[in-house]
Amino acid sequence: MAKQMLIDAYRGKRTAKAPWVPYAGVHCAFLIDEPADKMLKDPELLAKGVVNAAKRYKADGIPLVFDLSVEANSVGCDLKWWDDNVPSVQTHPCSSQTPAQAGLKLPDKDSGRWPVLFEAARIAKPQLDDLDCAMMGLFCGPLTLASHLAGVRIFTDVYKNPEFAKEVCDFAGKIGDLAAGLYAEMGCDIIAIVDPVASQIKSETFKKFVAPQCQDAIKTIHAADKTSSFFICGDCTKVMKDVCTLGTHGFAIDEQLNMNFIRDMAREHNIGFGGNLKLTLALSLGLLSPREDAIVSLAAGGQHGYTFAPG
Amino acid sequence: MAEKINIDVLTLDSVQCAACGYMMESIAALPSDVQEMITYTEWSIKNPDGIGKFMELKGKVLPTICIERDLVFESIIPQYEELIDEMAARAPSEAMSERIKSLREVGFEFDKLQENLAKAGAGMATRVDSKVK
Repeated sequence: MAKQMLIDAYRGKRTAKAPWVPYAGVHCAFLIDEPADKMLKDPELLAKGVVNAAKRYKADGIPLVFDLSVEANSVGCDLKWWDDNVPSVQTHPCSSQTPAQAGLKLPDKDSGRWPVLFEAARIAKPQLDDLDCAMMGLFCGPLTLASHLAGVRIFTDVYKNPEFAKEVCDFAGKIGDLAAGLYAEMGCDIIAIVDPVASQIKSETFKKFVAPQCQDAIKTIHAADKTSSFFICGDCTKVMKDVCTLGTHGFAIDEQLNMNFIRDMAREHNIGFGGNLKLTLALSLGLLSPREDAIVSLAAGGQHGYTFAPG
Repeated sequence: MAEKINIDVLTLDSVQCAACGYMMESIAALPSDVQEMITYTEWSIKNPDGIGKFMELKGKVLPTICIERDLVFESIIPQYEELIDEMAARAPSEAMSERIKSLREVGFEFDKLQENLAKAGAGMATRVDSKVK
């Protein structure tokens, strides 16, 4: 395991080999034979699950948690819990009003599930350090969090009610900035903005409702001397240039993008990039050989700013 | 009303994948007058039924909203009016098309969201051995 090699790759530097990050998420619960909801609510189980997964997969880095409902829940969105999946957001407090009109307040470290994460980090961090494995803090990006707050209407509002959309996205950006600070305080070595729905919009929307709302969080991560990244899912070809110029040290994508294209984009902008072992086609469904798929990714990614990871 | 507009949403998993979740929500949050005219299903490619539907409809990316078997919204979460227009264009009768168009200014409704998502089987078939009802 090699934490510094991972940090170097995330920052776009050359490495002796490609480091590796399993986004284990609720799979950590499966590995310790616990339900996902139970693990996510229990700091000792969460730490146990994460450390166990890091050991099992010989990870160079691992997310403390991969759950994009944490921030929404900390400002009052209700959740539906699943025993084999992450919780899903059930209610949208800004579906008919702005965050101010809804009376939403910025969370603090005692809000929602943040105390669980702080305690899990306290337990897991020294064990991950002993393994030379980076602890990663992943928080919900501005547009995904705005979707949690306002519901699917946000994708219409960015065109029809841009002032409302901006108010919600700005509020989401402030929560993200706060989350970045909390993950830095927990001791996370790498902190990533995770904005999956940012792939489902046009470049002009990304420039107005995602990029500006990430800037404070990126400053917070860099001011804490941590490494930053931006994780995006799906076919994000139309916003890839915006992702590369966002200001983070790097980015990560999923199986729907071509790794040669991504590598060339990252190299052009001198930033790190991660992906894209096929989560569904290889790991879940076995339609492709995971081994051969890994070889294809590793060959395309190379050893210059590349992190091997599921996508 | 006997005839309905059929909508298939091809997803990874609407619980795990936020983009997939909001694709599903864009249909489930359509107003009740529209709900009466549509039938919709989530097809997660985590199970064989979903893979079969993805192949059958010649899906290219996830998530995708298919209306009457056409791949209409591929990796782009639609605006309300775009959804209304695309459904109206594929309605089985002129009368239904006009009725849908008349709802263009209504906008999304969130009061029956969870009920509608449950009806579409959202998040209920995400295991390899799941069956889409």
